[in-house]
Amino acid sequence: MKKTIRLVLNGEEKNLLVNVNQTLLDVLRDDLGLTGTKKGCNQGECGACTVLINGKPVSSCSLLAVKADGKSIDTIESVAKEGHLHPIQIAFNEKGAIQCGFCTPGMILVTKNLLEQNPNPQIDEIKEAISGNICRCTGYLQIINAIKSLAKS
Amino acid sequence: MTNYNIVGKGIPRVDGPAKSTGKAIYTVDVKLPDMLYGKILRSPYPHARILNIDTSEAKKLPGVKEIITGQDLSDVRYAFVDTPRYPADERPLAVDKVRYIGDEVAAVAAESESIAEKALSLIKVEYEILPGVFTAEEAMKHNAPVIHDEQLEGTSAWEQWGVAQRKGSYESEIKVNNLSGHTSVSFGDVVKGFHESDYVREDSFELKATAHCQMEPHAAVASYDPIEQKLNVWLSTMGIFLKRFFLSKVLEMPASKIRVHHTFVGGAFGGKIDLFSYEYCAAYLSIKTGKPVKIELEREEVFMTTRQRHPMIIKIKTGIRKDGTILAQEVKAIADNGGYRGSGPVVIFLCHGFSFPIYNIENYSYEGFSIYTNNGIRGPQRGHGAPQIRFSIDSHLDLIARDLGIDPIDIMRKNVRHEGDVLPNGDKLNSCGLTECIEGAAKAIDWENKRMQFRAKEGNRRYRRGVGISLCSMFSGAMYYPFASAAIVKMHDDGSATLFTGAQDIGQGSFTTLSQVLAEELGIGMEDIQVVAGDTDLCPIDLGSFLSGTALVTGNAVKLAAADAKRQVLEGAAEILGVDDIDKLDTLEKKIFLKDNPEKSISFQQAIQASVLNRDGNPIIGKGFYKGYPQTDRYPSLAKGKGLFTSAYGFAAQAAEVEVDTLTGKVTLVKAVTFHDCGFPLNKTIVEGQVHGCVSMGAGQALSEEVFLENGQCFNPSFLSYQLPISLDTPESVDELVATIEPSGPFGAKEVGEGSVAGILGAIGNAVHDAIGVRFYSLPITPEKVLRALGKI
Repeated sequence: MKKTIRLVLNGEEKNLLVNVNQTLLDVLRDDLGLTGTKKGCNQGECGACTVLINGKPVSSCSLLAVKADGKSIDTIESVAKEGHLHPIQIAFNEKGAIQCGFCTPGMILVTKNLLEQNPNPQIDEIKEAISGNICRCTGYLQIINAIKSLAKS
Repeated sequence: MTNYNIVGKGIPRVDGPAKSTGKAIYTVDVKLPDMLYGKILRSPYPHARILNIDTSEAKKLPGVKEIITGQDLSDVRYAFVDTPRYPADERPLAVDKVRYIGDEVAAVAAESESIAEKALSLIKVEYEILPGVFTAEEAMKHNAPVIHDEQLEGTSAWEQWGVAQRKGSYESEIKVNNLSGHTSVSFGDVVKGFHESDYVREDSFELKATAHCQMEPHAAVASYDPIEQKLNVWLSTMGIFLKRFFLSKVLEMPASKIRVHHTFVGGAFGGKIDLFSYEYCAAYLSIKTGKPVKIELEREEVFMTTRQRHPMIIKIKTGIRKDGTILAQEVKAIADNGGYRGSGPVVIFLCHGFSFPIYNIENYSYEGFSIYTNNGIRGPQRGHGAPQIRFSIDSHLDLIARDLGIDPIDIMRKNVRHEGDVLPNGDKLNSCGLTECIEGAAKAIDWENKRMQFRAKEGNRRYRRGVGISLCSMFSGAMYYPFASAAIVKMHDDGSATLFTGAQDIGQGSFTTLSQVLAEELGIGMEDIQVVAGDTDLCPIDLGSFLSGTALVTGNAVKLAAADAKRQVLEGAAEILGVDDIDKLDTLEKKIFLKDNPEKSISFQQAIQASVLNRDGNPIIGKGFYKGYPQTDRYPSLAKGKGLFTSAYGFAAQAAEVEVDTLTGKVTLVKAVTFHDCGFPLNKTIVEGQVHGCVSMGAGQALSEEVFLENGQCFNPSFLSYQLPISLDTPESVDELVATIEPSGPFGAKEVGEGSVAGILGAIGNAVHDAIGVRFYSLPITPEKVLRALGKI
């Protein structure tokens, strides 16, 4: 069964016809080709599929697309604007926070939300904020340092 | 240390922008027009005979395009090890028997994943269940069920490629049931050594299976063009040429008719180098249907059916003088490689190879066994044997130090090897900063003040702290197919360069470090370099990103290619500048200048134009190549440990401070210290990232990570239940470089990405002993084990 949903995706209004059993992640990746959002576990445990829904980080593998009806969705593709990397993206790369890169889109979106809520997070708050996003490569330290470097004291 | 402009600096990764914007395409992101989706039917039994497979109902399902079973492919065999002694024993789909839970039985290609999944449920398989065996020790017994009862022929895959084969019989003299590999190495006189020792101790350690947990699930896309007879594949892999070689062999296609395309790799850690059934099936199904086929494994399949670290039992006996001089050591290692051989014979060889460079022990014997069981297949995992052996030996030496009332660091100081030492196999340590690593790590963890102090001070307090230390070493590449790496540097009209390399950036940063090597050698900037990589049609051969060889072997190839291009640029410039000898010229910032008059210079652009205009259109293309081990023509003997292993060993000393909560049993790694000798660090930020990643993975293996298996069934095939480290587990971390210069490495560089996973295990185990006075002989040290040891449950 299919249903039409309306959402604001990366700032653009969209009407989408989706299967009612399709996750938001599968709609983004398979129907819209927005493959920056990654499928790491498909069971809500790794955070690679994080998107921002009305500004808040959500695992898109664990949300049916129809539940996103009427919401505003931002994916990693929306973070760099007008050909310029976002300061979070620059900080991640300069501080060594990116290795294989598979967790990076989710980490960056969680960071974006954290810094909007709390412009000067302490180390413990940073660790807490990214605790739902698994990174196997970095051991987290350079990610934590990258986020800390963006804190406005 | 020489002042360089580009190497040694913490330059941001060249693939950072693509990865941080979501533009980087991984294998799981590849989608081709008219693509089919594949799924694999797996055995629910650990050991069973297949009596019948009925696919008729499944074939009737609308949307199903092809179904294959082992009967269609009965002659195909492959394996990570494929030699006359160890013939390949894996088949893409089981023919007669299944040997572990998850063993592949049939494969379906359909119009969607859900149709393929539905089709799997319609395939009927009749099994005759056979008794299984689930530990190596049980499997070795004479009455244990025999897992591989077929006689397999072995021709060396590498022999077909032209590598000289050793003569002689490959019949094993060791009569052990379910034996899949055996390594035996000895030097000196162990009996005499024990006899002359003041103290002899024996211990036994056990390590469990662990998972790699690459964030990108294993996946393959295959697209066969029947007119060109060409197979295009996208694979999440560490070594494109090794994969192409395997595929060419099993598909009986010329290597040039298979093209591995570049994709970014979402983590590998050793677990993406074997040829997998799903890769073969995607290719075969594409050939059969004439359409592209994608197979992407579910996370549960990744845990259960790709590869795990070998569970091992390691027994060690050491004879020592009162002053701490080790006189003799006897090591016996037994690895459980699961239902197929996997890398069994390699891991038992490497347990020796990654440990014997550390201590100079005159009388030494090592025996390793790899054994078939009905568990999942085991393969390479970061350190490949080093975590198991290093944990065991340094835990054992810590116990000896306690028995003798001496400081374990004194035992290390007395016995470690030094620069210039020649190992018993002939490898020479041209760089070795082990002693400096030990001193640095001891100081950073405040060894003198903290060791054995916490317990005394804290009495019966709930939280107890302790410190521990351990050492590790690792190869920088070795001899294995394709035995060498090459690189091509193509100069553009504007003076910039494109690097063509077969190396894969699996996250370790090789595109960046190789670009730095090129930029430094050629005298151009990082912004002047583009990388074309990971494509078998476009790029020259490469060893692949495993055994930690990329920096040294591929790095040397890139440096030589850059030097070749530079020579040609200088020749073009010499004519314009009126110089008779190119040695009078040098390059910097895309300019060529006279060494004794730097004001007189021309641009790269001018020199390249001159080369084209004055030399019949000759463009500038540099070529470089480097062999895995230049002084040897043979790969090391896995069975006898003979031959040269690697031209450079990386080393590290790692120390840990832990806090044990005696109420809950939880052990927290408070501080992790790594002093490592990776030679010259090509990129400091990347080197630090490798060390942090190793420490995190090692800490996980020490404290929480274990694949829970019962009768071959995995009970925790998900991130949540597997319990790998999350951000909250991140310790305070000190990592310092003991920079040596490795003469065989590009700018002095050698291994960094693997060794440091191994020392942290022993450091943590020893620190826990220091904190609560209890020794753990098996990992991980879970809260339950701690509470039991403290008599609280």
